[in-house]
Amino acid sequence: MIMELAVYEKMPDQVKISHEELERDGFSPNPFYECLIAEVPDEHKTKDGYTIVGYALYFYTYSTWKGRSVYMEDLYVMPDFRGKGIGKGLMAKVAQVGVEKQCVRLQLSVLDWNKPSLDFYVAKGAEDLTAKEGWHFLRFDGQSLDTLAKEAPKD
Amino acid sequence: MDFSIRASTLEDCKDIARMILELAEYEKVLDQVKVTQKELEQDGTKEGHAKVGYALYFYTYSSWKGRALYMEDLYVMPEFRGKGIGKALMSKVAQLGLAAGCTQLNFAVLDWNKPSLDFYLSQGCFDVTADMGYHCMRCEGAALEQLAQGDT
Repeated sequence: MIMELAVYEKMPDQVKISHEELERDGFSPNPFYECLIAEVPDEHKTKDGYTIVGYALYFYTYSTWKGRSVYMEDLYVMPDFRGKGIGKGLMAKVAQVGVEKQCVRLQLSVLDWNKPSLDFYVAKGAEDLTAKEGWHFLRFDGQSLDTLAKEAPKD
Repeated sequence: MDFSIRASTLEDCKDIARMILELAEYEKVLDQVKVTQKELEQDGTKEGHAKVGYALYFYTYSSWKGRALYMEDLYVMPEFRGKGIGKALMSKVAQLGLAAGCTQLNFAVLDWNKPSLDFYLSQGCFDVTADMGYHCMRCEGAALEQLAQGDT
């Protein structure tokens, strides 16, 4: 489903992760993420035989202003199962898990052209911090990350 | 100028709390800071900090690329800037991240903060929001409570 979501976001070539990495990183003693799945009964399975039709992948983060937070990295429901409250159910569950762990924020990101998703999140009470406050995400990866790391002072 | 970079300890939380407030003042959002020194002591594990500057980061996850790092704060006190301390802190975060198998170092900057934007871009990063169109969204306060109760 990670691949299906990447196709929807028009960036399938960006997906490099394997399911072995997902297993290692999600289910070891110190997991990097948690994941909720949405499952339907067998009689509603997809034409390919899948009963797992959606997921929400999230992890805990930290705000130096407000404290514990949760970041929802992915929220996805297969197209044939949308409009039935599954996406909302998954997101509400992530919020509930976060609130139980004393998180005070739920954060996520959305592509600016993805109007259906933007509308969905705003309807759930999310604010667009990029539009409202001017926040931009920046990233080092690949060569730029290697170069930066090599410049670290010796211990 | 001689300086050292090391992992923070519990005893550093008072200085970290002080510098968090200084950074929030620079970002013009001092009234937004609710974290206390006590919470920092409870919730902290290892962060790369110095007493005149700090970098606070944590591990995150990209469903496309795997393990990643998020640098929540990078701060150097005004009188210590221009001496390579900010760059050294950021490089150390990158080094620790690579050692832990991370393939990305992510962080956020305010669009009006030209000195910081120029600094980061000169170090080789790219602007994910400008280049790819990602917007940060947040639920908090009453909106988060309602969402958690399934009331939206």
